[in-house]
Amino acid sequence: MEKNKIISIEHLTKRFPVGKGEFTALKDINLEFRKGEFAGLVGPSGSGKTTMLNIIGSLDSPSEGKAMVLGRSIADLSHQEAAALRNRHIGFIFQEYHLLPVYTVYENVEFSLLLQGMEASKRKKAVMEALEWVDLTDKVDSKPAKLSGGESQRVAIARAMVKRPEILLADEPSANLDAKNAHNILQLMKKLNQELETTFIFSTHDEKVMQYLDRIISLEDGKVVKDEKMKVEF
Amino acid sequence: MIKFLFKGIWRDSSRSRLPILIVSIGVFLTIVMSAFMAGVMGDVVDMNARFSTGHVKVMTRAYADNEEQLPNDLAILGVDSLEKALETQYPHMQWVQRIRFGGLMDVPDEKGETRAQGPVSAMGIALIDTDDNKGSEGQLLSPEVQRLHIAESLKSGKIPQAPGEVLLSDAFAKKLDIQLGDAITFFGTTMYGSMTFKNFTVVGTVAFGSQALDRGGLIVDLQDAKQVLDMEDAAGELLGYFDNGLYDDESAQRIAQRFNQQYETTEDEFAPVMLRLKEQNQLASLIDYTERMSGIFVGIFVVAMSIVLWNTGLLGGLRRYSEFGVRLALGEAKGHIYRTLIYESVLIGIMGSVVGTLAGIGVAFWLQEKGLDFSGLMQNVSMMMPTVYRARITPETFFIGFIPGLFSMVLGQALSGIGVYQRDTAQLFKELEV
Repeated sequence: MEKNKIISIEHLTKRFPVGKGEFTALKDINLEFRKGEFAGLVGPSGSGKTTMLNIIGSLDSPSEGKAMVLGRSIADLSHQEAAALRNRHIGFIFQEYHLLPVYTVYENVEFSLLLQGMEASKRKKAVMEALEWVDLTDKVDSKPAKLSGGESQRVAIARAMVKRPEILLADEPSANLDAKNAHNILQLMKKLNQELETTFIFSTHDEKVMQYLDRIISLEDGKVVKDEKMKVEF
Repeated sequence: MIKFLFKGIWRDSSRSRLPILIVSIGVFLTIVMSAFMAGVMGDVVDMNARFSTGHVKVMTRAYADNEEQLPNDLAILGVDSLEKALETQYPHMQWVQRIRFGGLMDVPDEKGETRAQGPVSAMGIALIDTDDNKGSEGQLLSPEVQRLHIAESLKSGKIPQAPGEVLLSDAFAKKLDIQLGDAITFFGTTMYGSMTFKNFTVVGTVAFGSQALDRGGLIVDLQDAKQVLDMEDAAGELLGYFDNGLYDDESAQRIAQRFNQQYETTEDEFAPVMLRLKEQNQLASLIDYTERMSGIFVGIFVVAMSIVLWNTGLLGGLRRYSEFGVRLALGEAKGHIYRTLIYESVLIGIMGSVVGTLAGIGVAFWLQEKGLDFSGLMQNVSMMMPTVYRARITPETFFIGFIPGLFSMVLGQALSGIGVYQRDTAQLFKELEV
């Protein structure tokens, strides 16, 4: 694997069965992502952004072509291997936050570490550190229903980052937030990207997100139509 | 992880409330039914053992073949030496002679003329005992009096203390207007076929709670019975009871086999034969039938509860697809999610089973203490059955509910959880967007 190249996609095509026919969501995609990138997949609905994130996140596999993530071929992973890859190396952030409603903030963040079988004292340290990054140490015992949208998304970021993944996939993370909260969240993610060298890949069509990205990959009808590096200054 | 799952169940009442309620109801019904059946069967077996079958019973082969006719002409001769031999051979059992016989009972008026008359079914037992077995009020009580709960069944009068004193069933005494202290005359036949009669004094009336026993029963002392029936050193039946008072079919079978082996080669129709409790009064088929019915009953509960819980699990699962999607994204494997669903069902099954068991034992305890009186429905029942049915709490009562409780919950969840397994990971994840 070339140094710093953590995701490599070659001639990737993804088709879904629709009735008796097929729908091609991604067509012959070729992409590479390097460690520490803050990149975004942009495009209208149905352009294939989420499908691409699902394949990178080992939730789905290619119909044709190759998707290598951290040196592993997604198509060749078993269910367990794919789950282990997600558990240790890939974080997810969603538009709707999707916090587990019956658990507290602390327990939501703790969950993926529980899956790793991490011992309690290390787990506690890691969870509190993650909550410090998002400035929510005062909300450890709160339930998600008591949090604002911005706070919920910060918990989701802490939950994704607590295991210190190499890759973080964010699907429209600012779509449900007002402008101020969206900027706060994005600044937080940018900071984590720089401090922890985590590769962030967004799926978005939000202008607010785009201004933070240092690489924008435009998708249209399942094809990459533009892949450009951006110069971002804060 | 279990602690984590438990918190989820505890806090999300919509996930646990309905399944726990369903499991509790099923377990509750299973416990009550099981305890009630155990009580009923226990009472029937116990009553039969005490009054009729013993835990094992020795008769002559000919007597055994015609037992329902009470053929005392086919009784065991030399019964005292046989009893002694049995006491030596099986020291952990108590052996007692019984004579059951029938006849006519005549109630004379003050002039000696017949005032009332009726057929009587009599039982000769060792009523009068010289050993120092004292009852609660200090009177002498023979082991047979204790075994047949005669003191507890006494409706009026006292337990016979002297030869010639008898007990009469309370219903029979009322029917023939017999008062305590009245003389009665028994007419019957001796074991040799000649006519016999003897005067007795009624000193007490009893009600055993069984129509078969209470309809026309007379209880006389064994020696009186021997005298009137000319059965010196003879008895129709020799009953054996385990020392602890509890019937153990395996031991009874072993004892009966060993005893009967001694007489295998003889063709003598008066050779003794030993039958265990289950071989008499069609009790084996009754017990087997009850056990089968209990099994079917529990089986129906398991199937019905599993279907309901399956449905509940499906509805709950649909509501939780979003949660499953998040957990997949966080790196949980589908198999692990499925396993946690099973763990959850075990936790819910245990909780429901505990609640159902506690409630069931409460009601079973009430039924054990109070019982249900079916005497109105059993006026003409000839089988030896109690009229008041009670539940019986046994060690089994404390755990039997966990079988349907846990099994149905796990089965229901396992079936509903298959949906998680069958769905593609990406499809499950996609449900997040719904």
